[in-house]
Amino acid sequence: MGNAGFQGKADKLVADFDELFRGYDYVVAPSASCAAYVKIFHPRMAGHECEAAGKTVDLVEFLHDVVKVESLPSKFPHKVSLHNSCHGVRELGLSSPTERNVPKFNKIRDLLQLVDGISVFEPERPDECCGFGGMFSVEETGVSAKMGLDKLHRHMATGAEFITGPDSSCLMHMQGIAAKQHLPIKFIHVAQILSAGL
Amino acid sequence: MSRLRGNVRETYDMPDLSFAKLVYPDRVGAFIKTATTAAGASVIEMQEGDDINELIRRAYPNAKTIASNVPGVKADLNPDDVAKPQDLDGTDVSVVAGSVGCAENACIWIPQTMKQRAVCFICEYLVIILDRDNIVSNMHEAYSRIEMPELGFGAFISGPSKTADIEQALVYGAQSFCGVTIILR
Amino acid sequence: MSTQHSRKANEFVKDTAVVDRHDATFWAVRSRRDTMAHEVPEWEDLREAASRIKKHTVTHLADYLEKFAANAGRNGVQVHWAKDADEYNAIVLEILRAHDVRKVVKSKSMLTEECGLNDSLIAHGIDVVETDLGERILQLLGVPPSHIVMPAIHITREQVLECFRAHGIIEKEGRKAADSMNGDLDKLVAEADPTFLTRCARYHLRDNFMTADCGMTGANFGIAATGEVVVCTNEGNADMSTSIPPLHIVSMGIEKLIPDYESMAVFQRLLARNGTGQPTTVYTSHFRRPRPGSEMHIILVDNGRSDILGNEDHWQTLKCMRCGACMNTCPVYRRSGGYSYSYFIPGPIGINLGMLRDSDKHYGNCSACSLCCSCDNVCPVKVDLSTQIYKWRQQLDSMHHADPMKKTMSEGMKVMFDHPGLYTAALRMAPLANHMPSWLTGIAMGPWCEAHDMPRFAKKSFHQLWKSGLDEK
Repeated sequence: MGNAGFQGKADKLVADFDELFRGYDYVVAPSASCAAYVKIFHPRMAGHECEAAGKTVDLVEFLHDVVKVESLPSKFPHKVSLHNSCHGVRELGLSSPTERNVPKFNKIRDLLQLVDGISVFEPERPDECCGFGGMFSVEETGVSAKMGLDKLHRHMATGAEFITGPDSSCLMHMQGIAAKQHLPIKFIHVAQILSAGL
Repeated sequence: MSRLRGNVRETYDMPDLSFAKLVYPDRVGAFIKTATTAAGASVIEMQEGDDINELIRRAYPNAKTIASNVPGVKADLNPDDVAKPQDLDGTDVSVVAGSVGCAENACIWIPQTMKQRAVCFICEYLVIILDRDNIVSNMHEAYSRIEMPELGFGAFISGPSKTADIEQALVYGAQSFCGVTIILR
Repeated sequence: MSTQHSRKANEFVKDTAVVDRHDATFWAVRSRRDTMAHEVPEWEDLREAASRIKKHTVTHLADYLEKFAANAGRNGVQVHWAKDADEYNAIVLEILRAHDVRKVVKSKSMLTEECGLNDSLIAHGIDVVETDLGERILQLLGVPPSHIVMPAIHITREQVLECFRAHGIIEKEGRKAADSMNGDLDKLVAEADPTFLTRCARYHLRDNFMTADCGMTGANFGIAATGEVVVCTNEGNADMSTSIPPLHIVSMGIEKLIPDYESMAVFQRLLARNGTGQPTTVYTSHFRRPRPGSEMHIILVDNGRSDILGNEDHWQTLKCMRCGACMNTCPVYRRSGGYSYSYFIPGPIGINLGMLRDSDKHYGNCSACSLCCSCDNVCPVKVDLSTQIYKWRQQLDSMHHADPMKKTMSEGMKVMFDHPGLYTAALRMAPLANHMPSWLTGIAMGPWCEAHDMPRFAKKSFHQLWKSGLDEK
């Protein structure tokens, strides 16, 4: 709603969110852009610090920075191409943005590499937008689809069987285009790989 | 002005600019590398006993008209003496003196020390004479060193004029000189 | 559900070869920019410094303008003030008339584009010759720029050849151009060789430099401490334009001021690296005094800038130094081209500047952003571009420009999210959609299904799985 220009319509949702999750130590979200929105935009919309928003973390952040997972018993003997989503990279800092001259890191890759048997690839232009953007994909259909298709081709060029990432919305967008175009590529959320074979 | 003053809500201070900057242990070497790669210039390192006119002649053997007011440089046209800037059109090689060179981007500060500064731009090829002792690492150092001449014009020049406006194809020699030779002495 | 931008963009993306070439061209510039950024260890310090210098200067702009104007006056330069485009155009015309100017050679200036100067001068019988190669090509073709730094990059070499031929440039300068390259004229023409075409333009423009009565430039920077202006070009056309004619007019937006040489060093290091991926522009020219026997004028133009300063959400657009990097990195700009935007400055900064210029005319560009935030990270002066676009979108409804369908969808979401019971019910029903015929869901999902298949809903929602103790695998 906010990205579409109707942030005002989400006021109650923001208040409800804060109420609902107030008593928890961490609020863990399985989708990076959602976590980013809550974390960054909820306090701006409410006009004050939001207790729950302040404790909201993406699943990757949670496992990497809070739990500090160092080993995993999971197994995923496949080639995967890592989708670094815009808000994961540039709002949550899950990896170093390619635009900036900062030391390179990637928390998603760090976690995935703990999984037995996995080969992790990243596409050329590793953090270019896939073109979802919420309401953007229904308003700018042509450009959004072209961005998605370009991204899919770059993921597929790595030779991976799966595209994975922590952001469900990007995966849904690319999956929709891949299905329509009958492209031979599968999609899987990072959480599913981290828990594979458990 | 009153609207500008009235529309400011919060003022900000000048930042501290003393952060660490790129410096090269071998400034001359770095300068030559940038000049001959990114900038697309040629560099001649003058040796003991070299004659400057001989070096220019060797770099541009076909030049018919040389323009310069640099003492000791043999020239056919002097930018201090021509009646109008248009008289310099048709110059094959202009020779000018640079006062500061910058290693990070091969910029050379050319102060206007001649009546008609067109001489610096109108030629087919430009020769810049620069003292190797005047090469600094970065633009912060360069800006702290340059001096604006009395005539009120100076330019940092880095290699020949360039354009990539037609299909991104890089072409040397857009509206100004097509090539640059830097003589380091 | 479409916008002015999306309708044009949907047309643009239809030609895959064109859009792929456009995307690859500007991605190459972005990549060169990244290489440059990584070669300078203090890159992020420079960006932070540049941002803060600009914040400081624009929040002390009146003081710096007074200082600048006083110093320029002492240097023998005539300073003029223009509150808007009309006043600016009138001042230029007045200066030109006082000198009986028939022909003006111009180096690229976005400000003159903003004010519609060329049309104004041509209407008064003055010959205006753009001297930046890209700008000259566009002027001869009679089309506007599609990018602020590489304005004619969307034109093919064949189109350039045709254009030069139609204007007699090939006939007049072709032989000389071919000889200068020791090449065969027919072969060079047949190949529409870029070097050959550039040489043709060189000789064509050389004639104009020789015969012009006035040279006009923009200003990349104005230095308050010395009263001088700095112009950065690669072609040397600003220097050619100003070292031959007896009159130099500088057009400068008031936000171009910076305090001193120390600040200038910061911007000089960022501008070309960030804009075109070069360590520097070929020329960084400092103009402090008129040439002996000639005049120099500086016109300081407001044209809405002082109002922008008072705009809490958007005043930081005044920090922009027009490097073009936000366009090059924007995945939407790269795939929709400059002409899909209604404002003459496209891309992220153009969306914002267009809205500030005339929101009724340019609100249709606000859709041209997936909020990927890449622009925020390339911007050398840290303008919060994507946040500003987000804020414009929040205002569209009150400006009565909100898309009705988007509003309905958002209202639907509001009803659902405001009533958790409804949300849970909807989630439980969603898998049913998997079994509906695609023509039915296609209608329901509207534009989404132009490019996407329907999303597949899981048989059980995460909530259900969680509650049943993750027992379903």
